[in-house]
Amino acid sequence: MLTAAIFVPLAGAVALAVGRGWRETTARVFAIAVTAVPLALMVAAWLRFDTGGTALFQLVEEAAWIPTLGVGYRVGVDGIALPLAAVTALVFIASVAYPVDTKDRPRQYYAWLLFLECVSLGLFLALDLLLFYVFFDLSLVGMYFLIGEWGHGQARAAALKFFLFTFAGSLTMLLAILALYLATDPLTFDMATIIRQQPLAGEGARAGLVLLGLVVGLGVKTPLVPVHTWLPPAHVDAPAPASAILAGVLLKMGTYGLIRLPFAMMRETFQRYAGVLAVVAVVSILYGALVALGQANLKRRIAYTSVNHMGYTVLGVAAAGALLSGEEAARGFAIAGATVEMVAHGLITGALFLICGSFWQRGHEYDLDAYGGLASEAPSLTGATVVAAFASLGLPGLAGFVAEFQIFVGAFAVYPVLAGLALLGVLVTAALFLQLLQKLFLGELPARWSGFRDLAPAEAAALAGMLAFVVIIGVYPRWLLDVIASAGALLVEAP
Amino acid sequence: MLWALPLTPLAAGLAIWRTRPPRRERLTLGTAGALALLVTAGIAAWAAWTHPGAGYGWAPGVTLLLGVDDVAGVVALLVPLVAAPIVVYAAAHERRRGLARLVGLLVVFVGAMELLVVAEDLLTLLIGWELVGAVSWGLIAHEWRQADRPRAAAHAFNTTRFGDLGLFLAAMSAFAGAGSLGYADLGGLDGPLLHVTVGGVVLAAAAKSAQVPFSPWLFSAMGGPTPVSALLHAATMVAAGAYILARLHSFLDLVSWFAPVVVGLGLATALAGGVVACLQPHAKKLLAASTSAHYGLMFVAVGAGSTAAGIAHLVTHAAFKSLLFLAAGVAITAGGGELLGRMRLGSRLPVVAALTAVGSLALAGVPPLSGAWTKEVVLAAAGEYAPWLGMLVVAAGGLSAFYAARFQLLAYGPMPGDARDHGPTRGAVEPWALGVLALAVAGLGALWLPGGHELASHLLGEELPTGATWELVASLALVGAGVYAAVNADRGERLATLGLSPRSAGVADWLGLPVLARAAVVGPTLGLCAALARFDDRVVDAGVRGAAGLGGVVSAGLARADDRVVDAGVRGTARLASAVSRLLSTAGELGFDGLVRGLAGGIAATARDSRRLQTGMTHHYYVLVACGLVALVAATAIWR
Repeated sequence: MLTAAIFVPLAGAVALAVGRGWRETTARVFAIAVTAVPLALMVAAWLRFDTGGTALFQLVEEAAWIPTLGVGYRVGVDGIALPLAAVTALVFIASVAYPVDTKDRPRQYYAWLLFLECVSLGLFLALDLLLFYVFFDLSLVGMYFLIGEWGHGQARAAALKFFLFTFAGSLTMLLAILALYLATDPLTFDMATIIRQQPLAGEGARAGLVLLGLVVGLGVKTPLVPVHTWLPPAHVDAPAPASAILAGVLLKMGTYGLIRLPFAMMRETFQRYAGVLAVVAVVSILYGALVALGQANLKRRIAYTSVNHMGYTVLGVAAAGALLSGEEAARGFAIAGATVEMVAHGLITGALFLICGSFWQRGHEYDLDAYGGLASEAPSLTGATVVAAFASLGLPGLAGFVAEFQIFVGAFAVYPVLAGLALLGVLVTAALFLQLLQKLFLGELPARWSGFRDLAPAEAAALAGMLAFVVIIGVYPRWLLDVIASAGALLVEAP
Repeated sequence: MLWALPLTPLAAGLAIWRTRPPRRERLTLGTAGALALLVTAGIAAWAAWTHPGAGYGWAPGVTLLLGVDDVAGVVALLVPLVAAPIVVYAAAHERRRGLARLVGLLVVFVGAMELLVVAEDLLTLLIGWELVGAVSWGLIAHEWRQADRPRAAAHAFNTTRFGDLGLFLAAMSAFAGAGSLGYADLGGLDGPLLHVTVGGVVLAAAAKSAQVPFSPWLFSAMGGPTPVSALLHAATMVAAGAYILARLHSFLDLVSWFAPVVVGLGLATALAGGVVACLQPHAKKLLAASTSAHYGLMFVAVGAGSTAAGIAHLVTHAAFKSLLFLAAGVAITAGGGELLGRMRLGSRLPVVAALTAVGSLALAGVPPLSGAWTKEVVLAAAGEYAPWLGMLVVAAGGLSAFYAARFQLLAYGPMPGDARDHGPTRGAVEPWALGVLALAVAGLGALWLPGGHELASHLLGEELPTGATWELVASLALVGAGVYAAVNADRGERLATLGLSPRSAGVADWLGLPVLARAAVVGPTLGLCAALARFDDRVVDAGVRGAAGLGGVVSAGLARADDRVVDAGVRGTARLASAVSRLLSTAGELGFDGLVRGLAGGIAATARDSRRLQTGMTHHYYVLVACGLVALVAATAIWR
């Protein structure tokens, strides 16, 4: 089932790539239909998932690949991978459905999107280190072409910067992965085995280096300050759906990898350096929020809030891994909060970037000061943005709060001072989002924007689909948290 | 079942917002709003009577708890009862554009407040607390087409959210210390975490109740329509701070500094707010400063140890302050502006003037009105804490009497000389809304009757303090002096010009606190943000670009030599790696073999990928791949 979720989009991509004479609408409808398959499969997986299960991974599908090297095709989920894979499927269907200028190459555009969905789902479902790495790298390729070919402004340069930056990161990660692999006995890339073996436990400096390699590679993708500067240009010049996927799915690869690789496979080493990671996370939280408030460009502002929000996630992960035993309840909160933050940020920021796309299509302008008073012309757009903005600033009743509250409570038990500092981020994000709403939608309407089109049905449907989950998670978080808790409990108990 | 208390107004409010009544819009909206609130009041009455509890599994190990004690029951009932006439007034009085949103959000506001009131753990409290703030943003920014309104709303929200951080902090440290967020488990805290938790709650309460130095946000909140101000000051939002101190008093009082800090905050606000109100030339801002001052008195009462006195004053204050705000709204519409000096509507609106007088006299503390009774109770509580505190509360009462009389005389005093032509006076409904509230203010005056003291003590679940006779005498003397001073100043035509000189205008604008906040907090923060944004673009990214540029120079050199050389290098390295792997595999080093073969495969794949990326800058990748390879080979060589 999970295999089908990964490869149906790939088949769709191939069909689009080799097909001839597809019209714009045909290609679009076909792509939407294809993305509906993984979404349905994820729902089915969710229903089959046993929240009381004690196995490390569930719904596992395995096939031998290169047995002599310990490489296998292994996919499966735990309580952290499942929500992320489900969000991936949701963000993709919304992004594919979002109307955009495909520059007369609809086949190629949708083919790349479907290819990217394949590798994104593959990454979250992979239970083999090599497979994970392959998907990690391929995601760069897909995103590179989407930004470079369908972006605007200095799209090529932005795409190249994105590619080089994250590729450099992924090379350091490859080195670390190989070192980790070499320490297993017998040699294997099987994640479950490595997690059980904890191969580098008690290895001192060597383990530290491997951890550094992994964290740097994943930290670039997350991104953490100071290796975040590829993010703003990539976002600003990318087409809106690519931005939504970049923020909603690709960034999570960094933090998901952080939980899956260094955290789970090197508990002891991770615990030793968790404090450093927490400090970096808090710097990202505050720096990201403050720089975001300093931006006059709509899309850059939202891009920097990603740095802030992913900082919360990393803080949660660091806090959860800060002890080998003790404070289980608080650390369970931290890891659950980090996971919900990934899900919530995927939906919220995904929606915000799609909204940016609507602005670009209508006004070819990202300057906040150029807009104003649009609430009268575009009430639906205003409503969607208000919901997304309040969710992003952590208003209770919406998904962001569920994440941030748990991260704060969990982190405070191990890093009280850092958690207290991180709280200030909540204040700055409130200020920056209220200012954003005020500049776009309130006040006087400049004459040039009279007749600003409200959301088209396709746009409204895509946004409503994502924001509905933001509200559901905010009001009834239990259904998500129960799934996460099944993995969280394993992650925070003594190895 | 108790969930119905917050959820009924929340759901009803959202529904009202979405309705577009085809005709008789004012009647429909007013009726729907009032009905929703009366139902809520019914549920609240039931809750106050039976003290039920409820829970909701929010997360594994976290249950949202609701519960009602005596204090919560009284406030839960108060909120919808005060809100009902306000909503009717809003439906009748406010501009038609956006009316459904206004009425709907006012009802939602009540729902959020009810959640906060019946919360029995810190998370539920925080949820209600933040929702109240968010709804207040929507209400203050109601007239969003005027650019200054959303700005004012953001100021109010940001200030109170700073206080909300205190509540976040309290929840965090309570969980770390007690392993639970429930009120019932807070007593288990000790050590630094106890102090952090108490400090967080006090910070949140001070910000919400507009105590110094947070008071100026209430001036910004005046950007909202009058019914918003009335509700926000009387029963929701601002009331939350004083309420939570009373609700959690037995826990908060565990730390020795709680009483002096809260008494100090309250007293400073009561006196400073009184001075500001005496000088403030705007009708609504005068009332806003007075609100801060009276919540200050409640803080004094709770800090001094009598939660019952604090809540009693909260109840009567809700009645007379909402009445006065609605009266101010009528005066602003009829007088065509907010300046007190241009109103004097007594002759034109005699009924409204008379109803307003009931509220003003209660605010002044004149018996037998209810405000006076509860103020004397607060005074008694303060006097029991320390005689000097009692004296200062008496002084605050004198200020209150002066500005109450000033408000009444300027807004609804008789017009001297010719009757100027003013804006329209609207509708017949407003006096009824005012009348209901005036009746409540006067009716609560029954507390002066024998047995009132016992009844109030019984309802609030705590014996109210009885003050010394000299306190009552001193207090009434100062009230009289305050009223007399106002009347006297009015006769000398000095009352209207008060606060217009530059120096007193500074005082009237919250003693310059807003200016200070802009200069010391907002300005530097925004400056820092702009500087960091530039820093991020120029310095952080420059480091990256520098590295990339270096790579570019190197690769350009290589490219000049020959693109193929690099390419060959890549292929050569791959071949080298394969060769090494073959060599090692014959030696039987299976693992190493696998690694290198894997590497070779990876390299070949990467090389293929890179070749696909014919962007004209492919040499960059080759350089990177080559660098990576060298590193790889070196690392593997060192490893074994």
